[in-house]
Amino acid sequence: MLSRNLRFLSRRYSQAVTFRTTETSPSKQNENQIGLFYTVNNDVCKQLFGHGGLPKSYMKQTKTFTETSLMVRLPALDIINCIKATDFDKPVIRYMLYGEIGAGKSLTLAHLLHYAYEDGYLIVHVPWVSEWLRRVPRHKEMSNSQTHEGLVDLPLDGAAWLLHFKMQNQVLLKKGNLKISKEYVWSKREKTPEGAPLSELIEHGITRVKYACDVIDALISEIKILSNSKQCKTFVAIDGFNTFFYPLTRLSTPTKKKVTPEEVTLTKSFMEITKNDWVNGVIILTADQLGVSQDHQESHLPKYLLYKKGFEHIDPFVPVEVGRYSEREFMSCASYYRDRLWLRGPPETESELKLASACNPYKFMELCAPL
Amino acid sequence: MSNFRYKVGPLAKCVFQNHSTRSNIWSTLMQYRFYPRPTSFPDYFQNPIFRKEDQAKLIESNELKKLAALPVKPPAAYETSSVYHDPLVSKLINHVMKMGNKKLARNLVEKAFENIKRIQIERYHLATTPEEKAKVILNPKDILHKAVENSKPLLQLLPIKRGGITYQVPGPITEKRSLFLAIKWLLEATNDKERTIHFPEQFAWELLDAANNTGKVVKRKQDIHRQCEANRAYAHYRWQ
Repeated sequence: MLSRNLRFLSRRYSQAVTFRTTETSPSKQNENQIGLFYTVNNDVCKQLFGHGGLPKSYMKQTKTFTETSLMVRLPALDIINCIKATDFDKPVIRYMLYGEIGAGKSLTLAHLLHYAYEDGYLIVHVPWVSEWLRRVPRHKEMSNSQTHEGLVDLPLDGAAWLLHFKMQNQVLLKKGNLKISKEYVWSKREKTPEGAPLSELIEHGITRVKYACDVIDALISEIKILSNSKQCKTFVAIDGFNTFFYPLTRLSTPTKKKVTPEEVTLTKSFMEITKNDWVNGVIILTADQLGVSQDHQESHLPKYLLYKKGFEHIDPFVPVEVGRYSEREFMSCASYYRDRLWLRGPPETESELKLASACNPYKFMELCAPL
Repeated sequence: MSNFRYKVGPLAKCVFQNHSTRSNIWSTLMQYRFYPRPTSFPDYFQNPIFRKEDQAKLIESNELKKLAALPVKPPAAYETSSVYHDPLVSKLINHVMKMGNKKLARNLVEKAFENIKRIQIERYHLATTPEEKAKVILNPKDILHKAVENSKPLLQLLPIKRGGITYQVPGPITEKRSLFLAIKWLLEATNDKERTIHFPEQFAWELLDAANNTGKVVKRKQDIHRQCEANRAYAHYRWQ
């Protein structure tokens, strides 16, 4: 620990190290720190991203580099400044992050989640929508929904998400100010009374997996009521939002009939929360090509990925493009990789890699892997 | 037609070699780079020089003018002047390749290097003292060079028949054959893997073991050396 502090101190005075910044709080970061890496605390990381949120390839890198660092980039700073300047009495603003594959959308979302956590928002975060609709192991547990006729439930996914929600919002839920406004009757012997804390509702959903999706529905409506009455400010983040509008999922009923996303109850819940009929919140969505099948990955633009229904649902929204690395960002990333012992060799390699990867962050990481 | 030329080729080379004692021009002009497949270039085409350092050396020693006047074969697609070009790595990728699927072969070898790097970086972070940290080799290409060097045999056993019995006689081995055997043994050891373990992972482990002078491949080389030592008595059979 002492040697690590000494290392940081000596770095501050060394001129060669220009890729790190010691400003670890996203709300205090500004344009001076664009292109620099800041390290996220390990406990915060586990709390926020314990059940997903960071891409798998990035998780492998965190293990090799023994730290989780994010680069401060312009799209994230833009959105943070917009959030700081919003009027929370007006309906929620929806931001849509888009960009080509490997540009850094999920990591920008992670940066914004860190900001929301620091600022005390109630976080509603869906790590990756395709996980529910397109990842089908040999037997996916689906059940017919009891509250909504003809719709399909995903009980285990629902319960897993509630666990994720609970972990992310531990601090806010422990305070115990958030109470539900009406009584929910689950069956003859189970009911959650009015005025009970939100954590009780969540616990019920986790223990009784059968009612997980209904609990999510109830939770969403409660969160909307709480935000409207100014008891908490909400931050909604959904990665891969366009998967909700793709015509097919990989799910199929026991009668071998294909299920569309509209027939899944989880879709309904998250459509509810992305409507702009409530105040005191922020919604950030991502449109990702990788969320849909290979045949429909022709363009990375939101209008193509969201289809008519999706576009009309979130219209009006603020589109934010996440682009490739600029010169400075690229050099900073290359120096970070050298520092973490990931890249080695003479300096000409940087110019070669810049051309070979076209400054795409993911491609650059892939190309550095065998070097 | 080309078949005929291929069969005549080596014979023609021998004939030329006999004459070369008199005229040195022929020996410098003829390329003896032996392609295992029939190529469309005649033997007097020069091998390409595609590395910047080699070209700089030629310019310094004024050889460039002579070579520029001769016909030159084109370099292969994987021979680049990039900083990261390594002839041993190219050869390895060629040996890994099956049915001409170079894309897959290169991918596998790159993933193996990535695995080596991750393991070594973990070991580096676990090592406590600077001396231990300095001992950990982090560059996967260095590990490959060391592994191949450690698994190259120095002698080989030649089957020689005398009086109805085939004896395994120890004999010399050329550099090329030694390198070929080292790479072949490494790949054979990797392919003896569990069904669920992927090739790059197993290959990374084999390379790290060989670089450390432990593991199956080095053991195989040492077995050969031991057998050569045991059969020392038959060495004179090579000249009988």
